[in-house]
Amino acid sequence: MPSYELAMVLRQMSRPEIVSVLKRTAGTLLDRGCVIRKLENLGTRALPHKISEHGIVHREGTYFNISFDAAPTKISDFMEEFGRDIDIVRRRIFKIEEPEEFQCTLHEEMLPPAYRKDVQEMIDIAKRKQKRKFKYNSGLDYYPFQK
Amino acid sequence: MLQFARVAARSVATSHRAVVTPLLNSAITRRDFSAPVENKDQPIDIPNPFEKERRVCILCKHNIVPDYKNVKLLSQFQSPYTGRIYGRHITGLCKQKQEQVEKAIIRAQNCAMMPTYHKEMDFMQDPRLFDPEKPIRPHKY
Repeated sequence: MPSYELAMVLRQMSRPEIVSVLKRTAGTLLDRGCVIRKLENLGTRALPHKISEHGIVHREGTYFNISFDAAPTKISDFMEEFGRDIDIVRRRIFKIEEPEEFQCTLHEEMLPPAYRKDVQEMIDIAKRKQKRKFKYNSGLDYYPFQK
Repeated sequence: MLQFARVAARSVATSHRAVVTPLLNSAITRRDFSAPVENKDQPIDIPNPFEKERRVCILCKHNIVPDYKNVKLLSQFQSPYTGRIYGRHITGLCKQKQEQVEKAIIRAQNCAMMPTYHKEMDFMQDPRLFDPEKPIRPHKY
């Protein structure tokens, strides 16, 4: 099962209410055969902008993050289920992926254009696209007759 | 006579040399290029001493992977006036890191962790990683 991360914003509530909402969401995940790895509280604070959800305008929220392993087919069910929950202002599910290893290419990018690989490729493409000119093989660099 | 004239010309050309004997001169004219020549003035094989030091972007240097929960870091790449993400010519990041930063910022904005039309007021006094007035590469604006 791939790992996923549920980022959600709960509406402004008292502590016991928040606990009940968390229990509800975690129960939904566990009922569908998920494995919960981590539960993070990112704190209560003012939202960056007002959000209108379920007919109410929200200006403050509590941020929570739940890491879990689930079958990929279940993700849309979770989104639908949490979308119906009026205590959840916003929910997003992201796949947790290992960052790819790579070398910093800033040095190559800062070279003058003629030395950059992508520019050289572009020049090659432009050359290939140019229409071929007929060669007369007359040894002259001009056409000797009237055209 | 002709041989002497050639010697005279060569001695003028290599005037700093001590003595050019006709025998040595003839040896130079019929030099075998395949044979190794013992000469201190010949170029030696060394790495380019004028090569510039390899530049590494600030996130690669400290090995930072941008994460959408790290809003304080991400907001440093956001304009305080419009909330837009600064381009690569301003941030000075490598291609991959810039892509990761942009992805993380959009993700954070999507999760309502970051504002989209301005920079978070708490992070306005943060140290600046770059100067938007002085882009590292000229651009059309």
